Amino acid sequence: MGLIEHQFEENVLTTRVDWLLNWARLNSIWPMTFGLACCAIEMMAVGAAHHDIDRFGAGAFRASPRQADLMIVAGTVNFKMGERVKRLYDQMPSPKYVIAMGACATGGGPYFKFGYTVMKGVDRCVPVDVYIAGCPPRPEALLEGLMKLQEKIRRSSVVRKPARMA
Amino acid sequence: MDFQGIHDRLRAVRAPGLLGVDEPRAAVPGAKHGETKDAGRGGDPFVLIDPQRIVEFLHVCRDEDRLRFELLVDLTATDPKAEEPNLWINLNLLSVERRQRLAVKALLPKSALSMPSSTPIYRAAQWHERECAEMYGITFVGHPDPRHILLPDDWIGYPLRKDYVFPKEYHGISCE
Repeated sequence: MGLIEHQFEENVLTTRVDWLLNWARLNSIWPMTFGLACCAIEMMAVGAAHHDIDRFGAGAFRASPRQADLMIVAGTVNFKMGERVKRLYDQMPSPKYVIAMGACATGGGPYFKFGYTVMKGVDRCVPVDVYIAGCPPRPEALLEGLMKLQEKIRRSSVVRKPARMA
Repeated sequence: MDFQGIHDRLRAVRAPGLLGVDEPRAAVPGAKHGETKDAGRGGDPFVLIDPQRIVEFLHVCRDEDRLRFELLVDLTATDPKAEEPNLWINLNLLSVERRQRLAVKALLPKSALSMPSSTPIYRAAQWHERECAEMYGITFVGHPDPRHILLPDDWIGYPLRKDYVFPKEYHGISCE
């Protein structure tokens, strides 16, 4: 028997539309199954039992961009891959979010100077919501990034604003 | 067999294209303090060959009874300096049967970057030569599948050459 059972009368809750929609969205950010380099190993650790990204409702890694809300770019993006990343991003349904995980996806990382074929940050081809520093970032850092993204979603709004009085 | 034995054997069977041999040596101190006449070198001893006769040479290395180098471990190139007129072609051979290794090198002039493909002797050379071709601009004559292996098909320039100029953009994406 759960904690909240038999705690309430037959009640009605009132809330705001934005609050309800944001609550639903930010607690079910489904990421895409998608790892490019060593950062993906840390991302897998986040998905596993010890760090458990499912606590944030983001553990359902989808194998198709059409079912995903979040793209975690975990690793080095080169130009050949960058075009595919852009294409995958375009295939995701809105609202969609991107986390640039680690030094490479943020700004080229160790390949910044002599990586002739490495894109100097994935924000050259897709819009990025959250950047995570580290090479690779600790699993806690990815969870922190996810919480930052949740904060961002919490601040967003879908309702039609009332027309301003003249 | 040690390197000297392999070299003697190659001489004895008159391996085609064999030009010379180079072995690691200690530095020779110079007359003045802190100067050396010969800086010496480490690494493996190697045989130097004519790149245009590489197929006949490798054929001997693979099939001669005392050599039996049945594996091509590596085939790559080196660009030591931008002003140097030659590229180095480096091969590493391994004989599992005879438990011996051999490093083979060849000098290929940058003005004529073309040499025969080693694929008739070692099929493992296919991927190595494709990488060499796109990274250094070498043409391997007779290669069965001369496409790019790592870079995009429309890539301009040869990235591992010392005179390589970094691109400014690729398909509208800034490289800066």
